[in-house]
Amino acid sequence: MTDKRMHKIPGHNDVKWDDKNSDKFRGDVKETGIGFMGYDYDTATEQFKVFLHYDQLYYWKYAEVSKLGKGFVDGEFWGTKCPKCGDKFFPPRVNCWNLDCNLEKSDWIKLKEEGIVHTFTIAGWSGKSSLKRLPFVLAYVIVDGCNTAIANELRGIDPWDAEFGMPVKVVWKPKDERQGTVTDWHFEPADGWKPGPMNAEKERMKELCQPVIEWVKTMK
Amino acid sequence: MSRKVCIAGGNATPFDYPMHITPEAMAANCIVETQKDIPDFTLRDLDFMVYSHFSVHFGKQLCPEWVIHDHLGLVGLPHVRIENGGNTGGSALYGAFLAVKSGLFDCVGVYGWETMDNVTQSQGSEFIALASDTRYEALAGGIYPIYYAAMAYKFMKENNLTEEDFAMAAMKNRNYAADNEKSQFYRSDYTNPDSPYYKKTLTIDDVMESRLISYPLKRLDCCLMSRGGAFALVTSEEWAKKHAPGNYVEIAGAGLSSCTIRAGDRIDFPGWNEMYGKGYPDMTEFAACRRSGEVAYDMAGIEYKKAAKEVDVAEIHDAFSSSETQIYKALHWANTDNIREFVREKRTFLDGDVPTNVGGGLMGYGHPVGATGIMSAVETMYHLNDTAPKKHLSSKTYVKDANTGLVNSHAGTGTSISNFILRRP
Ligand SMILES: [Zn+2]
Repeated sequence: MTDKRMHKIPGHNDVKWDDKNSDKFRGDVKETGIGFMGYDYDTATEQFKVFLHYDQLYYWKYAEVSKLGKGFVDGEFWGTKCPKCGDKFFPPRVNCWNLDCNLEKSDWIKLKEEGIVHTFTIAGWSGKSSLKRLPFVLAYVIVDGCNTAIANELRGIDPWDAEFGMPVKVVWKPKDERQGTVTDWHFEPADGWKPGPMNAEKERMKELCQPVIEWVKTMK
Repeated sequence: MSRKVCIAGGNATPFDYPMHITPEAMAANCIVETQKDIPDFTLRDLDFMVYSHFSVHFGKQLCPEWVIHDHLGLVGLPHVRIENGGNTGGSALYGAFLAVKSGLFDCVGVYGWETMDNVTQSQGSEFIALASDTRYEALAGGIYPIYYAAMAYKFMKENNLTEEDFAMAAMKNRNYAADNEKSQFYRSDYTNPDSPYYKKTLTIDDVMESRLISYPLKRLDCCLMSRGGAFALVTSEEWAKKHAPGNYVEIAGAGLSSCTIRAGDRIDFPGWNEMYGKGYPDMTEFAACRRSGEVAYDMAGIEYKKAAKEVDVAEIHDAFSSSETQIYKALHWANTDNIREFVREKRTFLDGDVPTNVGGGLMGYGHPVGATGIMSAVETMYHLNDTAPKKHLSSKTYVKDANTGLVNSHAGTGTSISNFILRRP
């Protein structure tokens, strides 16, 4: 008898990838692997520096969490729920986190695409790939009453108008742009929600955002 | 009771971005400097090496410790590398502590380094973000300062604090770093005519006026990326007494604890609900800091309520001014009712009862991840063995008559945290 807590691993030749989209978003990115691109030398201090470029394509297997990725592509939110203790997870956990549930395998459940902002911040700086989106609100949202909060961008709002506890909804990218990742969707204020009036703290945030807005305009 | 474990000596290199010295040369420098403090110590004394290095992405070299180990001439000697995010240094010290405590080894070298100046700051931010849950967080544009800011903002609100309260630590640590010529603030700002902070004693306004990183954090509320190395010699009490009299300190307490990788997963985690009550730590408190601190306090016989009185000097993980403030609470120095006064009364300044990060901390000295926790331990040791006046530029940043020190090292969004209590023997 197989223990029910075991996750199924497909057989070696069972995965056929009948629906291939692997080059859909690749653009002109080339996998260059490892290579030396040039060097600098400083005569006065006798310091030598080389330029190394390293570029590889990775494959992440969602495996037992594949329902999440397929759900994103289809515009559906799938979380999990422990049949023993009832804790609800998004991002999904496929084994319960409760030690008393002893790795109980959780059930997939379709979640309502709505939530409550638990906390948030206005980003004025980020990683290289996100600089042009600045300033943006990153919110941690409790989706559909889960026992966890998930981080994503909150758009459709002046950054300084975001509030703790505000209701939000999920907004999807157009279907043919979805990649099966968390960047397929973002949060926006729930229909009918109105920000509170300007106050000293919001004015301060607005003032801090202005140089960021100006700086982003200068980016190519 | 098992035997006592000591830090016999240790040193750090300067920290800077950029800086031109290889990891193996930094190791050699640190060991040479350590030999100045403990002339008896030679490489032949080593039984075991614990290497402390966070990200192989920065050097594009897997197992980079192998390069250093044979450079030092240590072939044949056992070695391991410990990697545990921002708490890599603390975790390596913890590993060395266990190795000596077990009785297996008497003299263990701990060398940590990072070469973050191999990439730009924004690229580096992305590398570090790979230590968040890449599937759910890094892709959404998150980098560590943003996650920390989201936690800090809620903490600020719930503890009745202001941006200015956080700015206190940012100002304090950099101003202390101006008295430490190895510090990144000293090298890249205080003595750099091109820096806006050249020869400047920072004020709260300087912090408030610096650019937005992620609300409520501004540039001066955040540490910088660095290149740097640090070395500590962890030994049995017997070894330390024989070879490093006058220099060694005792590790009286050591704790290591863990929390979720995603900060959003700790608002209702069964393990914490059970230990500290439902809903703790939420996204505001550092439960792994509280837990590892309590373990270290217990080992050292320190009552939690009296911790701020008993600890004479501390080096804690101020990756952000907000996290330094959050750590005050996690270590039982303050609580929700009095943290505002604790900050405003400057209790962690040199004249306060727990001088904290007088070596500069991460915001002032720098944060080459693998070296950081070891630097913090070494800086704490300098007060307990009275070498601070010669290690720093003056005795202004020397905490006299200190008997008990605390070292804190911190990873992820509070995902792994260690605390150590050091004592003057
Ligand atoms: Zn359960």
